[in-house]
Amino acid sequence: MRLPRSAAIRLLIGSLVGAAVVGAAAWQLAPHEPPPWSDAERAVLRSLSLASLPPLPADAANAVADQPAAALLGQRLFFDPRLSGNGAVSCATCHQPALGFTDGLPQGQGIGTANRHTPSILGSAYSPWLYWDGRKNSLWSQALAPLEDPQEHGGHRDDHARLISDDDHYRASYEQIFGPLPDLTQPHASTAVFVNIGKALGAFQRRIQIPNTRFDDYVASVLGEPAAKQQQAFSNDEIRGLRLFIGKAQCVQCHNGPLLSNHEFHNTGVLAAPGQLPDRGRIDGWRQLEADPFNCFSDYSDDPQPVCAEQRFARSGAELLGAFRTPSLRNVAQTAPYMHRGQLATLGEVITHYDRAPPAMIGHNEIKALKLSRRERAQLEAFLHTLTGMPAIALEE
Amino acid sequence: MVTGTTRRLIAVVLLLQSSLAAADQIWWSDSGRYQLGFTSQLQPIEINRMHAWVVQLRDAAGTAVDGAEIEVSGGMPAHDHGLPTRPQVTAALGNGEYLLEGLRFHMHGLWQLVFTLEAGDRRERVVIELEL
Repeated sequence: MRLPRSAAIRLLIGSLVGAAVVGAAAWQLAPHEPPPWSDAERAVLRSLSLASLPPLPADAANAVADQPAAALLGQRLFFDPRLSGNGAVSCATCHQPALGFTDGLPQGQGIGTANRHTPSILGSAYSPWLYWDGRKNSLWSQALAPLEDPQEHGGHRDDHARLISDDDHYRASYEQIFGPLPDLTQPHASTAVFVNIGKALGAFQRRIQIPNTRFDDYVASVLGEPAAKQQQAFSNDEIRGLRLFIGKAQCVQCHNGPLLSNHEFHNTGVLAAPGQLPDRGRIDGWRQLEADPFNCFSDYSDDPQPVCAEQRFARSGAELLGAFRTPSLRNVAQTAPYMHRGQLATLGEVITHYDRAPPAMIGHNEIKALKLSRRERAQLEAFLHTLTGMPAIALEE
Repeated sequence: MVTGTTRRLIAVVLLLQSSLAAADQIWWSDSGRYQLGFTSQLQPIEINRMHAWVVQLRDAAGTAVDGAEIEVSGGMPAHDHGLPTRPQVTAALGNGEYLLEGLRFHMHGLWQLVFTLEAGDRRERVVIELEL
């Protein structure tokens, strides 16, 4: 039978449309897998994995840095609100383990309101710089500053030293670790005890384990297991988000290494909080570091021959205006809000910021607009959620 | 039997070999008057690690140049930013060699180091490119 020409054309068009619909549906439903990783990409993935984390760097400035007794004393002090002007603020008030050692607030809340967003302390023993502006360069020295900051612990070193002296438990621990407690009425005695409080806190913070994450498991599977098994560790969106992270979105430029941070200072054009002047960041932090009596060349350092290469060869200059330290992305899903003043509420807002790359209010924004699609931004965010594990504080009595 | 002295000798020979290998690559100053090579204390060079280089400076004929003032700047051309540190020559080692301390690179990609040399009454520039 021959069909009239018009009917044949209709049939043909119908068949083509039908095939297209079926094809599109099949494309949507089929598990269209991301392409396999190249050798170069696998090397990058390996470099980001927790398995690539080197041993803790030695801390010659803190003679008790690796003494378990000092870490235990430091742990008790970390959670003790008596180390404050009002008896209500401990280190853990702002550095809450369940929130990736942050507090969920735009700015730290101690006795008053801190100037900036509470940074996580996960992995801080690996960073040559502490604080958003790097104004400290050792864990022990960093730990001292909030204890006397009127907005944070609001205490004074005399009171902190007296707490060690008056509490039998603290006094016994202290003397076991550091030797006899000095006569606190003597000049500089309180400062010596205060510094040792910092060294105990530093010893504790060095022992906070960086948790393994789904991302680390995925990398292990990429490096050691067949492709089918890799699919079980990560969803396709997470895999594509990771590919963006190390590729098109260029996150890995600064968020590199197993802590996903280069610990350096960058101006990424983050706007000041509403109604606030822009924060000058590292350019002031560097000056404060140079003037700090507890910096790497401090008389209170235990290192008889301090090298202090980071401090000696630290740069200064206009490029550091409005620059802040790259935060680690370990446990990043727990540390909202984000940026130095907690200006961005969610990871989605952070990704949108980098996608648009607005001009900096002060200094020069190093980043360029990424121009990702909505789908890509969602994939990147899905990947960022794989970087979180349970922080472990496991110090034995 | 391998004695401690022999082991040290082997180590020195290996270090010299690696030094020669690294110095195979040289960069010329803008006018072609000087050639510059370096040996990194950290091999291979990794990101985020502070380290030092021994810089070797020779004239066009290959004669070691001592007594030069050397300043270093640089950065990443693609990212429009400078070096994360302020490297400095901290010692003249003789035989045209200089200790350059305070190097750390914080990103993968192409780095440029600009050496400004002052030897005698001449001021010259050598640009090194480094892919990390």
